[in-house]
Amino acid sequence: MFERLKEKLEALRPDGWELTEVTKHGWEFYFIRHQLDQNRAVETRTYNVKLYRSIEDGKFLGSASDALSPTMSEEEIDRRLAAVWEQAALIRNPAYTLVSEPVTLPGKNDPIDVAKIAQDFIETFRSVAETGEEDINSYEIFVSSISRRFLNSNAVAYSCVYPSSTIDLVVNARHENHEIELFRFNTCGTCDREKLRKDVEDALRFGKDRLIAQPTPKLQSGAVVFSTADACEIYEYFLYQTNASLKVRRMSAYEIGQPICEKFEGDVLSVEAVSSLPNSSHDYPVDEEGSVIEDRYLIRGGVAENFWGTRQFSQYLGLEKSSNVHNAIFSGGKGDAESVRSGDYLEVVDFSDFQVDPMSGDIAGEIRLGYLSRGGKILPVTGGSISGSLPAAVPTMRFSKETAQYDTLVIPAVTRLENLRITGIAELEE
Amino acid sequence: MKAPFSAYLDSIEPALRRLVGILGEEFEYVSVLSTDSVGFQLALSQHSKSVTNQNRTTERGSVVRVYRGGRYSEYAFNEFDPEKVTEKAAVISSELQKQFALLELCGSETLETPILDDEPIELFCEKEAEILPETADTAKLIEALQSVSDEGVRTIPGALDCQAGGSSTHISKLFLSKNRTMRQSYVYTEGMYAAFAPSKEGEMKMVYEGVSGLCGPEILFTLKEKIREAPKIMEDVLGSEKIVPGEYDVITSPDVTGLIAHEAFGHGVEMDMFVKGRALGADYIGKRVGSELVTMHEGALCAESVTGYAFDDEGTLAGDVTEIDKGILRAGICDALAAKRLGVKPTGNGKRENYSHKVYTRMTNTLFDSGSDSLEEMIASIEFGYLLAGSESGMEDPKHWGIQCIVSRGYEIRGGKLTGKVVSPIVMTGYVPDLLGNISMASPDRCVFGTGACGKGHKEWVKVADGGPYLKTKARLG
Repeated sequence: MFERLKEKLEALRPDGWELTEVTKHGWEFYFIRHQLDQNRAVETRTYNVKLYRSIEDGKFLGSASDALSPTMSEEEIDRRLAAVWEQAALIRNPAYTLVSEPVTLPGKNDPIDVAKIAQDFIETFRSVAETGEEDINSYEIFVSSISRRFLNSNAVAYSCVYPSSTIDLVVNARHENHEIELFRFNTCGTCDREKLRKDVEDALRFGKDRLIAQPTPKLQSGAVVFSTADACEIYEYFLYQTNASLKVRRMSAYEIGQPICEKFEGDVLSVEAVSSLPNSSHDYPVDEEGSVIEDRYLIRGGVAENFWGTRQFSQYLGLEKSSNVHNAIFSGGKGDAESVRSGDYLEVVDFSDFQVDPMSGDIAGEIRLGYLSRGGKILPVTGGSISGSLPAAVPTMRFSKETAQYDTLVIPAVTRLENLRITGIAELEE
Repeated sequence: MKAPFSAYLDSIEPALRRLVGILGEEFEYVSVLSTDSVGFQLALSQHSKSVTNQNRTTERGSVVRVYRGGRYSEYAFNEFDPEKVTEKAAVISSELQKQFALLELCGSETLETPILDDEPIELFCEKEAEILPETADTAKLIEALQSVSDEGVRTIPGALDCQAGGSSTHISKLFLSKNRTMRQSYVYTEGMYAAFAPSKEGEMKMVYEGVSGLCGPEILFTLKEKIREAPKIMEDVLGSEKIVPGEYDVITSPDVTGLIAHEAFGHGVEMDMFVKGRALGADYIGKRVGSELVTMHEGALCAESVTGYAFDDEGTLAGDVTEIDKGILRAGICDALAAKRLGVKPTGNGKRENYSHKVYTRMTNTLFDSGSDSLEEMIASIEFGYLLAGSESGMEDPKHWGIQCIVSRGYEIRGGKLTGKVVSPIVMTGYVPDLLGNISMASPDRCVFGTGACGKGHKEWVKVADGGPYLKTKARLG
């Protein structure tokens, strides 16, 4: 169908087009305890088509897109493409150009063995040491081989195959009639048995601590430490702020060559977009429009160095070379994890849903499990919430030199934000 | 007009029926859900415009569910040649056999489950829509949404941009099993604006409002009424202060009431969580979980909203469950497999993100019943507290009955009067039985909001609606 669509697009003679075929071969296994709830297989193929239309002698470039199914008839495809062509005339965006630089991908597209990856996940979950007091409640395993094939009207073409996996895990801890649960959701390329086992064991340990956690005291404000995947929310804010679309829409105050805050009293942030990151679920070095992803700093030494984004918004900013970002590495700080954890702080290792607003930087999250460190003593706590403003916290933000990978991001293993609001639920004992 | 059922699904029905028959020789139970849903998504702002004929619920594909020896398996696909049904059945069987072999290799046992009921049902349901998304005048819709964006930027103080958007889907679904033939089609539409302006301190603030309904794209034209309220809301947000953390008397506006309904006893009584022992609600059926004023309904039949279907993704007819009756937890909601495992009847809440995803027990319309207190009486009854408005997001915790709701703004009440002071943003947390147990007043309103999507954990996004009246309760705000 790819060739057939290509012929139809060429026959339509639009001012530009992009055609992407995405094929997914997925295996899924759902377990309750270690018993199979359900097994599923997924075989899908979709075709995404985008047509471009020059308006007013090239002053504007209109576009419209559609997803076509392999079961569509010739008549249906022709009708849908004609509709997209008409719709493109209604969209008057300032002109920009499609990718024209050829793509050369390293290596060959070896087939992905979803059965082997699934086996690794299942065996690892089954190998975790459980006790009568801490065990696995349920887990879901999603393993996919995804193939992408791309072609545009400038003859830019690429194809790639990559693995993408997701696990959804719930663990329980119990003592007499009291039982609690913790939830973990991770994406990655394939199964890293050692890392997965450690993640599950950490979750079981946290679960045990949540059993004995005391209500979070009414601290009002203080330092909060992040050392789990929730910290990605913090770092993703900086990626959003370097996104060309946000800059064009005037929702980012970052300027190339300017520091992202007035004065750094803590650690200084650097982030590099990278073309490849092993075991990322998006480990392919070309974006959805055919732009090659190159290694380049977005923020270096606390100074904004590059924006990233689609062709449209990158060109609106006058960027000659740009692309979307799949993977990024945030540099570590000056001190080690232990130094970041110095003094009094609240380390939250499990939230209901930790959020950092990508535009305002507003922080919010209910505490399911935290460790309150005061006067050298550490107390597990639960309940209440934290809130605050990330832009306000950036000048004094500290992070460890050790880093950790969470799917597409490498970030400091331990991050500390000062002066967040801490809404507790118990009176503070001095 | 009626939203017509998909001609494509009609054309492949005989072949799908043959597929069910062939697989039925190998498996004890076989069903297939096929979908063909078309629609669009529009987004207009001052800096960019886009149109696409795909959105979160447009799809075309099928999923086969089979059962043998206590085990359920599924195979989802979107390539199907009605002339090659035997070959497709062989592919499905072969792929599932490979999975069974892996499970055996890993020593995995099966959670044995009884076979699903398959009493005969014949259903054909086409719901009304004024305009179909596939024949809508895109130029007019774009013009209307652009005017919303333009008015937002013109009238909202300090606005840097105002995005206006809408999506509409004409859904067609066909469910077949040995004894069931069910077909339904309906249209739902949602639209929104989101305006952005910086505060004096340089922090970016957003105001957001939406419209939605079990209707065609015509509802998008009503956004122009919503945008007229935006300048005042933005003024409130820009002039807001940070709240002093603590427990307060609060009045929840109907959208925040809906968020509470959804997060508190929406997720809390999804009975697939009972199967896993993940919901405290299982132990509280028949017990008090709220005040006398708390009655809550859940079901696709509860409201003509974005999730007002006739049958769910497992071929169970839509329902209306009274979850809480005058404060007493009466019942949960259940998909068909979880119902078999628990020995109860399914409630028509088995939903998939799309044909390629698994069914879970999911919400549809989750609504608090109305009361008889006016908003004015509620405000007058509060010495110091807040009127909460603008639901943003929430998170469930059915195991421990915690609740997290992010709310845009709180309007201060002192001495029974609104003072004009606003706090923003707000994290509302609490213990669900406390939050519902403290409900002491409810207004006669019954508003339904359907612009949001709901995840199960952090995935499996489906359309849901929620709402209710203004409620007075106590909550912890931070």
